[in-house]
Amino acid sequence: MAGRRTRSPSSAPAERVAGGVFRLCAWLAVAVAALVVAVLASETVLFFTEVPPARFLTELAWTPFAEDPRFGILPLLAATAQIAAGAALVAFPLGLLTAIYLQYYADPRAAGILTAAVTILAAVPTVVYGYVALNFITPALRNIWPGIEAYNGISACLVVGVMILPTVALLSRGALGAVAPSLADAGLALGASPTGVLVRGILPAASGRIAAALALAVSRAVGETMIVTLAAGNQARLTWSPLEGLRTMTAYIAQTSMGDVSPGTIGYRAFFAVAAVLFAITFSMHACGRRLAGGRAGGGPGR
Amino acid sequence: MTGSRGGARVPATGAAGEDLGTEPMKAFRSDGAIGAVCSLAASVSIAAAMALIVILLVEARGVLDLGFLVGAPSRFAGQAGIGPALAGTLWMTLLSAVLACPVGIGAAVYFAEYAPRTRATFAIESAVMNLAGVPPVVFGVAGLALFVRGLGLGSTILAGGLTLAMLTLPTVVVTSREAIRQVPRGVRSAAYALGAARWEVIRRQVLPAAAPGIVTGAALALARTAAAAAPLLVIGAASFVTYAPGTPGDPLTALPTQVFAWSTRSQTDFAALAAGAAVVLLALVLVLHLGGLALRRRLAGAAR
Repeated sequence: MAGRRTRSPSSAPAERVAGGVFRLCAWLAVAVAALVVAVLASETVLFFTEVPPARFLTELAWTPFAEDPRFGILPLLAATAQIAAGAALVAFPLGLLTAIYLQYYADPRAAGILTAAVTILAAVPTVVYGYVALNFITPALRNIWPGIEAYNGISACLVVGVMILPTVALLSRGALGAVAPSLADAGLALGASPTGVLVRGILPAASGRIAAALALAVSRAVGETMIVTLAAGNQARLTWSPLEGLRTMTAYIAQTSMGDVSPGTIGYRAFFAVAAVLFAITFSMHACGRRLAGGRAGGGPGR
Repeated sequence: MTGSRGGARVPATGAAGEDLGTEPMKAFRSDGAIGAVCSLAASVSIAAAMALIVILLVEARGVLDLGFLVGAPSRFAGQAGIGPALAGTLWMTLLSAVLACPVGIGAAVYFAEYAPRTRATFAIESAVMNLAGVPPVVFGVAGLALFVRGLGLGSTILAGGLTLAMLTLPTVVVTSREAIRQVPRGVRSAAYALGAARWEVIRRQVLPAAAPGIVTGAALALARTAAAAAPLLVIGAASFVTYAPGTPGDPLTALPTQVFAWSTRSQTDFAALAAGAAVVLLALVLVLHLGGLALRRRLAGAAR
C-alpha cells in the first residue's frame, strides 16, 4: 500500500511524519480486521478437521456437549432466519411508511420531532429492549395466547422489529431524499395523483437504496444478540410455532458459559465455527447493502 | 447505531435537522389516503419509543437514588446498586475511545487522502468498513481468543476494553471516512493549486471541515460501545463484583451485562433493579449522543 502520487513532494519532515502516522493507523485498522478473521478461521478449520462439513450442514440437532454430540447448524440457522424474517415483517412496512411520511407529508416541525424520536429509538441499548421483551411483551402476549412459552419467538420478532425500525426508516428516508425532486414535479405536472407519483415514480426510482436499507437492517437483526437471548430462550430446536422458544446462533454464542469450555476441545471449536458462519453472513449482507446503496468506499466525488 | 447510518446523514454544513432540505410538496400533503396510512405508521413508531421509556421509568421509580448509583450488587435487592458496573463501563468506554478513535480517524484520513486508487486498496478499505456490519457478539468471540486466552489477560477490564476497542474501530473508520468524503473536492484542489503540501491541506482544510462529522460519528460509535452487552458476556463479564474497578486488571463488570443479569432473575425486585440500571444506561448513551451533536454544532460554528 505504499502509494505515492506524483505531486511534487515537500521536503518538510512534518509531511513525511504525518504520512507515516496515517499509514500506520491504516495498517493497524487492517491488522485488527485480519486478526479477527484469522482467529475465527483458524479454530473453524480445526473444527472441520474433526467434524466433516456434511455433518455440520445436514444434522438436525446442535448438541456439542452431549455424550453423543450432534453438530447440525440447521436449528440455529433456522431460528436466526425466522427471527430476522419476522423482524423484517414488522420493521419494513412501518419503517418505509414512516420514511414516506417524514419525507413527503409531515410539516417540518413534526418531521423534526419524529426524527428525534426515531433517533432516540436507534440509540436504545439492545439489552434494554431484551428486558422489555421478556418482562412486558411476553406477559402481554400471554393475554392473547395463554399457552405461550416464557421464551418464545414472536416476542423476540416484535422487539427485534422495533429495534431495526429506525435503521429502515432513516435509511429509507435517505433513499427517498436522493430521488431528484424533478421526478415528482414532472409526474404531478402531467396530472398524476400524488399516490401515483409515489407508487409509479418515486418508489421504483428509490428501490435500490430501499433494498439496501432492508439488507442493512436485516443484517442487524441476524446479529442481534441480547433481545433473542433474553426473549427467545436457549432451546435449539426446529419449530414453526412462534409461541415456542428457539435459539439463534447469537444466543448460542452468548449463552455458552466459557468457564466450562477449555480451549482445544471440540466444544470450544464449535463455538468459533458458529461465530464464523455469523461473521460470513453479516459481512456479506453488509457488503451487499453498501453496494446497493452505491456507497463506494473510495474515490467518490466530493459532494 | 451503525456507522454507515450515522455517517450517511451527516450534513456537510450547518445546524442539525436542515439535511435533505426538501420541503414536502403541497400536493402530497393534500392527498388523504396514503398520507393517513403513513402518519399512522409514524405514530406507531413514535408510540413505541415513548412506551419504552415510560415502561422503564415506571418500573425503576422506587430504585433510582444515590445509593443505587454508588452501591454494589447484593443478594438482597433492597441494598443492590450499580457502582462497580457503572465504573467498569466508564473505564472500558474511555479505553475504547483512547485506543480506537485516533487510529480510526487516522486510517480514514489515509484511505481518503493518501491511499493509491487501486483495486487492492479499495478491497482492503471495503473489508475494514464492512467489519462495521459484523455483530458485536462476534468481536466478543475474537476477543476471547485474542485477549482473554491469547494474551492471558483473563476476564478483566483491560480485556473488555481491548475487545470493545476492536468493535469501535471499524465504525469510527466508516463515520470519519464519510465525513471526509463530504468535504468538497474543490477545497483540496484549490489548496493544492496554491502550493500547499498534502499534510497542510489535510490539517488546514480537510480536517477542520470534516471535524463536526468526525466528532459526531465517534460519539455515536462510543454510545454503541458503551451499550454493548453481548461481547462482554462472551468474554466472561461478572455480575457480582462488589467493588468498583480501579485498575485495568480488575474483574470485568459492566452496566449492560448487569442489566442482563438482573433481567434473568425471576423475582420482581430484581426486575426493578434491571429497569433502574437500564435507565442509567440509556441516560449514559443519550448523553454521548447529545454531547456529540452539541460538539458538532460548536465545531460547525467555529469553522465558519
